[in-house]
Amino acid sequence: MTTPLPESALVDSTPEPSAIGATRASRATWRAFRRMPLGMISLGILVALVLVSVLAPVLAPYPAGYGMDVLRPPSAAHVFGTDALGRDVYGEVVWGTQQSVLVAVAASAIAIAFGTVVAVVGAYVPKLDALISVVVDLTLSLPVLPLMILIAALVGPSTSTIILVVAAFSWPEVTRLVRSQALAVVKLPYVDAARLMTRNHAWIVGRHVVPAVTPVIVVSVVVTASRAVLSAAGLAFLGLGDPTTWSWGRILYEAQQSGAMVSAWWLTLFPSLAILALVLSATLLSIAYNDARNPRNHAR
Amino acid sequence: MSIALFVLRRLGRGILTIWFAVTVTFLLLRLLPGDPALAVASPNMTEEARATLLQQYGLDQPLLTQYVLYLGRLFQGDLGTSFTQSIPVLDVLMERLPWTLLLTATALVLTVVIGIPLGVLAASHKGAFLDRFVQIVGVTGQSLFVPSVGIVLLLVFGLNLGWFPIGGAYTDGVYGGEWYVSVLTHLVLPALSLTLIQLGSYVLTMRATLIDALGDDYVTLAKANGLSPRRILWKHALRNALLPATTLIGLQLGFLVGGAVLTETVFAYPGIGRGIYEAVTQLDFPVLQGAFLLLAVTVVAANTLTDITYGFLDPRVKTS
Repeated sequence: MTTPLPESALVDSTPEPSAIGATRASRATWRAFRRMPLGMISLGILVALVLVSVLAPVLAPYPAGYGMDVLRPPSAAHVFGTDALGRDVYGEVVWGTQQSVLVAVAASAIAIAFGTVVAVVGAYVPKLDALISVVVDLTLSLPVLPLMILIAALVGPSTSTIILVVAAFSWPEVTRLVRSQALAVVKLPYVDAARLMTRNHAWIVGRHVVPAVTPVIVVSVVVTASRAVLSAAGLAFLGLGDPTTWSWGRILYEAQQSGAMVSAWWLTLFPSLAILALVLSATLLSIAYNDARNPRNHAR
Repeated sequence: MSIALFVLRRLGRGILTIWFAVTVTFLLLRLLPGDPALAVASPNMTEEARATLLQQYGLDQPLLTQYVLYLGRLFQGDLGTSFTQSIPVLDVLMERLPWTLLLTATALVLTVVIGIPLGVLAASHKGAFLDRFVQIVGVTGQSLFVPSVGIVLLLVFGLNLGWFPIGGAYTDGVYGGEWYVSVLTHLVLPALSLTLIQLGSYVLTMRATLIDALGDDYVTLAKANGLSPRRILWKHALRNALLPATTLIGLQLGFLVGGAVLTETVFAYPGIGRGIYEAVTQLDFPVLQGAFLLLAVTVVAANTLTDITYGFLDPRVKTS
């Protein structure tokens, strides 16, 4: 299942308080990032996966109905082979990419939005912060997958259920990351100065606190999205995937159900590689971004 | 802070966590769009039997009363009755719990035993090829999908090489010493897959904390005193780096249990995870609810115990 971040993916530098140098800083980050082969390759893979998900209807017909060629190994006609019902595994993986990318984007968007708001509000309003950090700690110490399973089973498996369930248990991790950064930011003098200028707290938070924690948010987007993919695949592997949509986890689940998992290696290899490609490149991307953001790695 | 107060605080925290898990479960079951009665009453029951059961479980009462009743029942260990097996959920799960404990504990021990040398190796060769290699393995390990790892191990070592059995937890019909051997051979592949997905983050944390420790003043002092690098590394720096790295394992227990659920499913290992998988197929909601609560209690208990042990081993923990 998902594991916590490597240290290197965590926040490593002090926040960048001024909004003035922001564009210059981001340009320097991009320049440093472009020189990192691993980062660029990861970005390339992610872009390719997004393209596959958008172009799925062009790349392969939707695998439905039964075929005559059952459990055939990869061949010219079926590059990834066929499954126990004679469906094209290549088509399943392509359409599975679409679902995985959708879940990753939607679930992490919800988790990031909610997690950031909770973190920033908590950092800004100390009275709420104690409560928020307790809830975050408690949630993070529970076995989340069994809880996700219970809810998904009760509500009934569908793509939107999976997105909501994954998002509901991903935001505490975002809050934990963003909160530690936001706590440092709200103590900075310019936030005090902003308090003197206005009593509009929402404006201070939106204009000064959120921009300062944006780098952490960028890292959490990537990490949360890749975790969402793993959680969704895990749910689908247990039979809680949307039965009407192809997903990488569902291919593995059906392979297990039909008993073909052990005899037909191509049924498990290709969806597994797809999951690995997405999650690994997301992780590497966040590491490369963190390195690139470190001013010490910027060329003069 | 005195030891007694420290232990009390950790126990209190553990109880708070369990209460939180119970309350979240209760609220989710009652407030979700699904039928809350599903968690106790099977849809296959007759209307009459269902109504009796709902009344017996107080599901016709207001939410607050239901909550109190719910807490009371859980306190007595009543997790409901399994739809499919018609025996108490607690009995179903308790039979499976030892297997899950065996599997996760083995994986944890393996992670630490393999992870420490790898972390030390990487940290002591910081920036060199070996370090890069360990880092790459670590990051890749974090990105693995548990069932994929399990299936690969099962195909290679179970089917092709035939070294280990491909499913279950023991061989039927053998007794005595042979039975224990069969338990061990059945354990190897599932424990290995669980270790592989856990190892990456442990090694990376180990490496990072060790590199930090190697930059500390006492290391400089030890160097100035002429201690050998090996002695400094293993005797001084490692001891200080062990604690944060091992605390991380505690934080990961929840994830580890999630991994166990998937691993057990792949290997048909008769633990709680496989039970969850079967309950999902049969939509046995009481079992699913009970499994989550029991796993949560187990994780919290294990965490509290390790925390308290640390407190005795390392006085710094108590004061922080």
